[in-house]
Amino acid sequence: MPFIVLGLSHHSSPVALRERFAFAEARIPAALALLRDSGAAEEAVILSTCNRVEIYAVTTLSASPAFAALQDFLVTCHQYRDPLTDEIYRLDEPQSVQHLFKVACGLDSMVLGETEILGQLKKAYELALRGGHTGARINKAFQRAFNVAKQIRTETNIQRGSVSVGSVAVELAQKIFTRLGDRDVMVIGAGDTSEKTARALVSRGARSILVTNRSYEKAVVLAQELGGRAIHFEDWDKEFGNIDIVISSTAAPHHILDRARLEPLMKLRRNRPLLLIDIAVPRDIEPSVNFMENVFLYNIDDLQTMADGYLKQRQQEIAHCEKIIREKAQGLLDAPPQRPPAGLASAPVAAGGQTPGAPPLSQRYPPPMSALMPNRALDS
Amino acid sequence: MVYSIFLWRKGFRRDDYVNYLLLLFGFCLHTTGMVLRGFRLNHCPVTNLFEATTFALWSLLAVYLVLGLWPRLRFLGAFAAPILFGVGVFALMPNLDTQHVEPRGLPAAWTSIHAALMALSYGAFGLGSVAALMYLTQEHNLKLHKLQAIFSLMPPIQRLEVVVGRLLLSGFILLTLGLGIGAYDLTRLLHPETYRGDPKIVWSVLVWFIYLGLLVMRWKFAQGGRRFAIGAIGSFAFVLLTFWGANALSPLHNP
Repeated sequence: MPFIVLGLSHHSSPVALRERFAFAEARIPAALALLRDSGAAEEAVILSTCNRVEIYAVTTLSASPAFAALQDFLVTCHQYRDPLTDEIYRLDEPQSVQHLFKVACGLDSMVLGETEILGQLKKAYELALRGGHTGARINKAFQRAFNVAKQIRTETNIQRGSVSVGSVAVELAQKIFTRLGDRDVMVIGAGDTSEKTARALVSRGARSILVTNRSYEKAVVLAQELGGRAIHFEDWDKEFGNIDIVISSTAAPHHILDRARLEPLMKLRRNRPLLLIDIAVPRDIEPSVNFMENVFLYNIDDLQTMADGYLKQRQQEIAHCEKIIREKAQGLLDAPPQRPPAGLASAPVAAGGQTPGAPPLSQRYPPPMSALMPNRALDS
Repeated sequence: MVYSIFLWRKGFRRDDYVNYLLLLFGFCLHTTGMVLRGFRLNHCPVTNLFEATTFALWSLLAVYLVLGLWPRLRFLGAFAAPILFGVGVFALMPNLDTQHVEPRGLPAAWTSIHAALMALSYGAFGLGSVAALMYLTQEHNLKLHKLQAIFSLMPPIQRLEVVVGRLLLSGFILLTLGLGIGAYDLTRLLHPETYRGDPKIVWSVLVWFIYLGLLVMRWKFAQGGRRFAIGAIGSFAFVLLTFWGANALSPLHNP
């Protein structure tokens, strides 16, 4: 029985089409039951996120009719009547197994190497498992996919590093300070990027946040959102003695922090390390402060370059990851077949979905299939 | 050591198993050499400065090889290799591999404690300089906004600075105790005043003042970070480069 994949993703179709085929999480068990009852699949998992809708199936049919049956199911489920050409991809072994592994590793994701998809894949698998829609082959393939994802995460750099400015700032802070839990952050200027960066630091455990802005009211609003304290713009340097991380994004046309001003402040801080993140344009902090002892200054370009570097690093890892995936997929396909555990999969569907004389697949689904339409899209 | 330079350029990842294997190969040769020497002398080869140094080198390498079994810690080899090379070169300095001489009427126990404490203190200073080297590397990468500052497996620089400080303090306490016991030992000699200007004693006191200065500068004048790390490396380099000379010139330690 071949393991096949049919679906559409951000690579093959626009969001307008993907949303037409999305399955609501609550409706997936019913859809799986319908799919298996139709005879198109013996075992199946439906993965539906905002970037992909995929059916992983083990079928008694040969590849071509199986793909036709799965597509018929998908189209009928969502009452889609327009013609489909390249939007739907159909993968047979070994590409189907490799594709599953790639999805699990985040290699097929929009943000290369992202890990959220692994959680979504696990959830989709658990839904199918709980409903008794999986069997020995799918169980083995998915368990192996989760293992490969773990191996890829530990042995390659595909999932290392951050590709957003806020996350890079957090990682830098973690390479400077022993613990973020006893670090205090000051946000100068209540901009959007500074808010995101501060939020990223708070989510990783920064102890306290001070917010200052020329408009005190704005500072109060942002401080409340971040769970911090607002201070008047004229007073920010008075609080500097306790601060370890500064995020600056004012609209000032000149430097608000220069070497002459920072040197006495560093003495006040007994030369403890200081991370300065200047995301303002024009810049708020004089670049030469980076030459000072224990001062680490990053501007928006530095952070963006690092984020891009991460992405490049991830792209360089693709070949390494694909090699591992090819080997593991082949290993899985070469392994001797296992007998399915008793009672795991429901009774096999007699004669499959293409038995001569049987009604067309589209007639086997109760019309309309609005019950399977999404009420919300999953992430990814 | 040469290979470790490539690792520095590449960044400190977990895949530097080649360095690990090179060090393992060196360890095997070293062990064979020590065993052959032990059989030839018919006792454990730790009777003179050369043997003690090579034994310390062997122990350090053994510790690294055990730590390196965990892939996350294998990068330490890139730092250990230059230090091991430096200590190895130090062991080959002239006048260290001397014939074993029994102490001149001094109680063996006190002399042994003095020697052990001094060896431990220099070990702590050596480890401190390794941590300081890691600090400088990481600080350099952070200052120049290099991606490997984040990709490397090294701990945060603040923790490295604390480690350097603690190792230097431990070394300083051990050095103080070792010198104290050595001084007490000296008073038991027949004519202790003969050794007042002994080069090794003068040198040891100088080393003691250097490390005292480093520690005072850090705690009293907040001179941590880069300067402290450079101080830790420079001081240990001074110890490595001048130890053999002071030892060779000392009638007390090299009769």
